[in-house]
Amino acid sequence: MRKVFSRIISFLRRSKGPAPEATPFATAFKYFKEVLENNNRALEIIADFGDKLGGEYLFDINYIKSAYSDLAGTVYGSIQDFDLLTQNRYPRLRGAFSRIDEHIKTLIYDVTPSRAEMVLDYKDITWNMFREVGGKNAALAEMKNYLKLNVPDAFAVTTHAFDEFMKHNGLQDEIERLRAGVDDEDEALARLRGSILGGEIPPDLATALESAVERIRETFGRDCFLAVRSSAEEEDGDFSFAGQFDTVLNVPAAGREVGEAYKKVLGSLFSVNAVAYQKMHGYRPGDNKMAAGCLVMVDAAKSGVIYSVAPNGDKDVLVINAAWGLGTSVVEGQTDADMYMVKKDAEPVIVGRRYGKKDSMVVARETGGVEKVEAPEDSGEVSCLPDDEVRALAGLAAHIEKHFRRPQDIEWAIDKSGKIYILQSRPLRVSEAAEKTAVVREGAAGARAVLMQDKGVVVQKGVGGGRVFVARHPGELDKFPKGSVLVAKYDSSNFVRIMPYVSAIITDTGTPTSHMASLCREFRVPTVVNTGEATTLLQHGQEVTLKADDDGAVVYDGIAKELIEQAVGNSMKMEELFEFRKRRYVLRYISILNLVDPLLDDFTPEGCKTMHDILRFIHEKSVGELVDRARYGSDMAKRHMAIRLDLPIPTGIVVVDIGGGLAGGRKSGSAKREDITSVPLSAIIGGMLHPGVWQSHAVSLNANDFLSSMMRMPDITTDGKDYAGYNVAVASGEYVNLSIRFGYHFNMLDCYCSENARNNHVYFRFVGGATDMVKRSRRIELIGTVLREYGFNIVTKGDLIIGRLANISRGDLERLLDKLGRLVAYTRQLDAVLNDDASVEEYAKNFIEGRYTF
Amino acid sequence: MADQKIMVIDDEKIVGDMARLALEQDGFNVETFLNAEPALERLKNERFDVVVTDLKMKGIDGMEVLRTVKRLYPETKVIMITAFANLDAAIEALRGDVHDFFPKPVKIKELKASIQRALAK
Repeated sequence: MRKVFSRIISFLRRSKGPAPEATPFATAFKYFKEVLENNNRALEIIADFGDKLGGEYLFDINYIKSAYSDLAGTVYGSIQDFDLLTQNRYPRLRGAFSRIDEHIKTLIYDVTPSRAEMVLDYKDITWNMFREVGGKNAALAEMKNYLKLNVPDAFAVTTHAFDEFMKHNGLQDEIERLRAGVDDEDEALARLRGSILGGEIPPDLATALESAVERIRETFGRDCFLAVRSSAEEEDGDFSFAGQFDTVLNVPAAGREVGEAYKKVLGSLFSVNAVAYQKMHGYRPGDNKMAAGCLVMVDAAKSGVIYSVAPNGDKDVLVINAAWGLGTSVVEGQTDADMYMVKKDAEPVIVGRRYGKKDSMVVARETGGVEKVEAPEDSGEVSCLPDDEVRALAGLAAHIEKHFRRPQDIEWAIDKSGKIYILQSRPLRVSEAAEKTAVVREGAAGARAVLMQDKGVVVQKGVGGGRVFVARHPGELDKFPKGSVLVAKYDSSNFVRIMPYVSAIITDTGTPTSHMASLCREFRVPTVVNTGEATTLLQHGQEVTLKADDDGAVVYDGIAKELIEQAVGNSMKMEELFEFRKRRYVLRYISILNLVDPLLDDFTPEGCKTMHDILRFIHEKSVGELVDRARYGSDMAKRHMAIRLDLPIPTGIVVVDIGGGLAGGRKSGSAKREDITSVPLSAIIGGMLHPGVWQSHAVSLNANDFLSSMMRMPDITTDGKDYAGYNVAVASGEYVNLSIRFGYHFNMLDCYCSENARNNHVYFRFVGGATDMVKRSRRIELIGTVLREYGFNIVTKGDLIIGRLANISRGDLERLLDKLGRLVAYTRQLDAVLNDDASVEEYAKNFIEGRYTF
Repeated sequence: MADQKIMVIDDEKIVGDMARLALEQDGFNVETFLNAEPALERLKNERFDVVVTDLKMKGIDGMEVLRTVKRLYPETKVIMITAFANLDAAIEALRGDVHDFFPKPVKIKELKASIQRALAK
């Protein structure tokens, strides 16, 4: 507790201490506005970039080059202004910029990156790294890290290692020759495979493999074995490449053996069949790089495959194949496996089963490698899987399918202890016939009731349906059911947490260039913002379908399956083009937002992985900078001309006008309510003057409260003459930083309120209070409840609470500031009446509903 | 529409790939070329209804494609697309009886509409 006190005192001291003002506030404010301008321009370019690369435009590399150079220039300009504003407080941001810039240029100009990992542990792999680790690794790591499924421990050997291997062994020219076309391709391929198998692992790679294998051995013992599996860049992406590449099972965990298996896997990229298959899909030799996954072998008692939709296209039924031993026999159709048909309900129902003969099985040899053996005699008559295992597998499959949003082909194994492992998941191509029936059913939407139409701005086109989930504040996202439609008052980059699972997003306010909007484009989530009244028109729990296209957005009642399937069919088509995916990949370093929460440890220049992250960092820290500087408002008030505000209530506020804050640019004396031309200040004062919120009678403090106040705030209590002296508003036409100290509370509101919603922010800070700790924490809870209701992101530390909100239209912001003005007035003496926990809820409710008397 | 043939010439593979996919969805018969020589060679043996060509290409450029097409098949429409949109190029193309002229990136919907207009004439 002592610690808390001393922190608060030091905070308050800091807040009135001498200002380290190297540049005057007005100059800093000018830089701030320039940062905003550059940021906006950059976000617009990013939005346009995403749009042009979204599949509706024919574009070429020249467009990408020129748009990127435009973007890089603008982001750089923003960094320059930011450095001026913060006086080079974040020198490492330039390093982050250079790093990302190099990544992007590598992609655009097809040059090799100067530095990249050759081996990556699965825990360090994220869903968007398929270029680095291949599709199979990326999907497995996603299931392990994000879905927390039971995927064996593993590491990936990256595509960069592939490049290095080919370079080290002088094989790149071979590939170039193959690309140009050779007379006898089969022979050239055989020669290339021979060179790969006989090639040398580059020393750096050998070292990296050794240490990765050693880490595995530390956990699983010296006698453990690995499966070394292919994971080509494009494998398990839009084309399955099923069975095209090699897997080497049961490899002793030792650097040399793993290296040999790795070379076998690399070689399989150039088998005659694999090259023919790739050609069929538009890849030339070398288009596709080979990564590999090294997974700890599962001691499988049984294993098999799941198709998450029935082969006849019935999407409500999934099919499980199972046999004894390792999965090889099922995958390659070598044994007559069991088959189970399961209906995908909340509780999976087994609707059909057939027992195969299962007369042979593949098992791991003790010394490494695998062998096919006879199965026990009676194995054909019994089911491989008891019903509960069938249902457990079905549940997992439905979960995975939902996550990847497409039918999946899943490999699994169950070890001798009954533990289920997922070994692979890749998209399952639904037959053309099944897709066509979906199109024929179009038109049925015409019969559906329209719940909302001609409202809002379409951010991402598409169709999505599900149950409405109305999120009032970010905390509620924890309860977000996968596949639902998110309906919210504000747009927020916090929604990134649910982006992979959300069917559609509809918000009351927001703009197409917000952080959330670019996330929606990245994740292709059908989204419409600024509808004004989605949260009123759509009910929590109601089933709806959003259709967003060139003609605007329509929300239908119910789930219009026919529309959804058709839309998925269309949008998938461009994705099937390798060139398209390859070019679009640049967006992963541009528009993805990783820095979501300013409170997390990775909210640093080092945490920036994309241009968007840099802009987010700059915006957040610029607002912080402004808040910090304006905090020395009382000091500024002494040095600048401060105008006293003459209001009907004794707020003791003085205004430091930095341009357009007061009518007539007055420099001395006092100003009246109607003289305030600062939009945000005027709105706040309007709220404070709202009838009834300013409690004029003093609320009595009990002895305890009084004592703790005496202990804590000597510097304030001695100064306190009718609240006057400390309340300073630094204001311009569009900006205000208002620091208010009422008795024992310290309140700060920092707000930029312009016509451009993207620029706008509001920062609300509240600390201190002359009561005991319990009451103070109740007050924090109350303020938190109210701020959350208004859509703020909140953080509390002891009895300090900070709320932030950005990207909000001027009108909405003015209304909000009015409410915040009321809150400032309302909370002046609130803690003295918060006598029990129940009263927190009561007073919060009262405030929200407009009842302000105690 | 399956008998209506469209040729797309662009030295970047992605343009041809995307155009083919989009136009085939509408039932057109599409052939794509990465440079003009083989495209003009093909035109000697086969008439196309619409030729969509990039303006700036190594070797034979879009203007020459336009002239050759117009000489061989005056009724074939040529749509020019270019990353280097400038007025001079547009004027020259118009003099050469180009049907339409688009700066890249080209909205596929607009390209399709232009092709429809070309075919309706």
